[in-house]
Amino acid sequence: MWIYIAKRTGAAFATLVAASVIIFMFIHLIPGDPILVMLGDSATPEQAAALRTRLGLDQPLVVQYFYWAASALQGDLGRSIFFDEPVTSVIVDGAETSILLALITMVWVVVIGVPVGVIAAVKRGSALDQGLSGLAMLMASIPTFWVGLYLILVFAATLGWLPSSGYPSIFEDGGLANLRYLLLPSFALAAPNAALILRLTRASMLDVSKEDYIRTARAKGISPRRVVLRHTLRNALLVVVSAFGFTLGALISEAVVTETVFALPGIGRTVVQSILRRDYPVIQGVILVIVCLYLVINLLVDISYRFLDPRVELS
Amino acid sequence: MLGRLGMKRVLAAGAFALAGTLAAGSAVTPATAETLRYATIGEPPSLDTQMGTAVVATMIAQHMFETLYALDSKSVPQPLLAEGETVSEDGKTITVTLRQGVPFHNGEEMKADDVAASLKRWAEFGARGSTLGLDTVEATGDYEVTITLKAPNGAWKSLLAQVNGGPIVFPAEIVSAAAGEPVKPESYIGTGPYKFSDWRPNRYVELVKFDDYAARSEPADGMAGNREAVLDTLRFIPVSDVGTRVSGVQAGDYDYAEFISGDLYAILKDDPSVTPYISASPIFGLLFMNSKDGILKDNYALRRAILTALNMTEALQVSVGDPELWDAQGAFFTKDSVWYTDAGTEAYNVGDPEKAKSMAAEAGYDGAPIRLLVSTNYQQHFDQANVFKRQLADAGINVELDVRDWATLLKQRAEPGAWDLFMTHHNTVADPALLTFMNDNYPGWWTSPEKEELEATFINTSDLDGRPATWAEIQKLAYEQVPAAKVGDVFSFDIAAPGFKPAWDKAPGFQYFWGASK
Repeated sequence: MWIYIAKRTGAAFATLVAASVIIFMFIHLIPGDPILVMLGDSATPEQAAALRTRLGLDQPLVVQYFYWAASALQGDLGRSIFFDEPVTSVIVDGAETSILLALITMVWVVVIGVPVGVIAAVKRGSALDQGLSGLAMLMASIPTFWVGLYLILVFAATLGWLPSSGYPSIFEDGGLANLRYLLLPSFALAAPNAALILRLTRASMLDVSKEDYIRTARAKGISPRRVVLRHTLRNALLVVVSAFGFTLGALISEAVVTETVFALPGIGRTVVQSILRRDYPVIQGVILVIVCLYLVINLLVDISYRFLDPRVELS
Repeated sequence: MLGRLGMKRVLAAGAFALAGTLAAGSAVTPATAETLRYATIGEPPSLDTQMGTAVVATMIAQHMFETLYALDSKSVPQPLLAEGETVSEDGKTITVTLRQGVPFHNGEEMKADDVAASLKRWAEFGARGSTLGLDTVEATGDYEVTITLKAPNGAWKSLLAQVNGGPIVFPAEIVSAAAGEPVKPESYIGTGPYKFSDWRPNRYVELVKFDDYAARSEPADGMAGNREAVLDTLRFIPVSDVGTRVSGVQAGDYDYAEFISGDLYAILKDDPSVTPYISASPIFGLLFMNSKDGILKDNYALRRAILTALNMTEALQVSVGDPELWDAQGAFFTKDSVWYTDAGTEAYNVGDPEKAKSMAAEAGYDGAPIRLLVSTNYQQHFDQANVFKRQLADAGINVELDVRDWATLLKQRAEPGAWDLFMTHHNTVADPALLTFMNDNYPGWWTSPEKEELEATFINTSDLDGRPATWAEIQKLAYEQVPAAKVGDVFSFDIAAPGFKPAWDKAPGFQYFWGASK
């Protein structure tokens, strides 16, 4: 087990190095100049040249990469050209919002997706099942930004129950009560993902319920509730858990739209704005962190298989 | 595994927690009555506005930093940190007397050394510093600064009143240490009615009232006169999505939101939950032509043919919408400005494809493709470019759109061989000398003997009263040589919560909030 984890971690690190080269080179190949974006219409060529030198953007690309990679290995992702502060601070500042948003979203996804999926499977073919499956199809089809705008319209602008946008840090006044700023965006973000998990849970439950050991359990007279929760759901969750890995990955990309619609100071919005500004260090830093997250999530999902199903080979 | 009772307990606990959170949410925290929550279109770059011309940075920074002069409601410069001035007969030496007892936010009094150092740095490194033609600037007394120009500059007072990329006054030690680098937030020390408090990237920039502010005694008039800070705190929050800015004001989360789309005006002007403020200061689109390279280089006849084909009314209807928000007029300044003139504007908004076709043929145009560089980041540019492409096609002029994002366009337009036309826009400026097409180095690179001659009269003059007449000749020339075609005046609009009262009826070019209350 430990050898497996060590091997997988080594492979993940190699992937990370390869990814860092690709990230760096591709970003610098995009046309556009952060200096011109920063200085505006009236900047003189001398001003632009001075700023370019100060930021090291006049160095050959390979030299710039090695400086960046060497610093990154020591935990220094460089300084944002636009904000003129360390990229790690920009990421940490956005991370609070993005991580909490992802966590609350995952809670919605689990709380809605799994139980409703189980109900739909148990009531297979009934009007309830068809209604829930239809609703899931609808939720999966409606774009997140549209759901977000309507949630704002109803719950913020019309009813005034929840804030329309923004997110003050929990370290500021309000503490945990500030989490209410994340309710609407997390629900908008959860809708398509909950629908996916719902459909997957339902399908997986139906597959597992055809297995011999379920028939045996029923034949032994075990109560239907116990068969569903203990035997069917536990095995059906194997597929669902692997889907959570994808869902979490999808959340990162969908969060960009949600963070823009709800004006959340998260990492997704930061990276989009940074691309428009060609703020290379921030884009590189954020993508590198996201690549790390993907690698870690994949690693954890693979390892969790082993715990859910001891028959899974780890070689 | 949870038993039946366990599962129920978990579900009940979850529902309880959710209900609790929702209940907390129903009491959305109202901001204190003294805070302005302003939803901006985006994040500002450095607030050191000597060094940059970003509109959002200027709008925020003008509450902290001040200039020697400020423009009144008729765009005439009036003393702000200055008390008065004398100008030598040759127009090259200007002696400015400063107000006494004006404190910086660090408690030190502003003196001539600070002004001299600030002007010196602005002239050397500032975004618009080269426009003045400064030779030397010296503190010739505690409260007296002597400015020597290389040549007389009729626009000097307007340039010193310019807040956007203008000569804002910092303490001497701060600007001397910063030199060509942007001043850091911890050194945002000015003389304005608000002082710097906090900057959280992606969250907000916050300014707080400066209690020791030395206000002028004259009544407020535009940017000039008394600047009284009524609100305790100004908080500028980046909200890039326009729908979110609107619903944020409707929901009571923001007091003010800028740059609302024109297509929402018809709905919002009748909405009791918001008050629209149309800008008094138009932004106008410009279709720049390449004077350095390519098919349009010095073919003024072909440029006039292009201009003749364009129907600006149609382009403005498509790109802006509500007629209250645009004005298809060809003068580069509005009617209430001292710079307004209709010279040459008979060539504006002709929209005659047949005439344009024959003009293009006379100009020797053979149907070769003309590359129009445009960005999708500004929807109006993109919409207008599409309308123009079709109008020019009707006149037999073959335009190919080269669509880029704004950062790429900025890079590409600096390369003379990479484009023939490009779309951009312009804010209202204090003096024609600040119009981008007047700058020989701005992409487009308009230079011609006729321009040089008129420019020499216009800029290097001590005849201040004669300048508007010279500007009229320059505008006429701009319609003959067409360095850039003006699309038309577009008045952006902002919205405020009903209880919020700014100190103006029409939003100024850079919305200021001294005198505002809620």
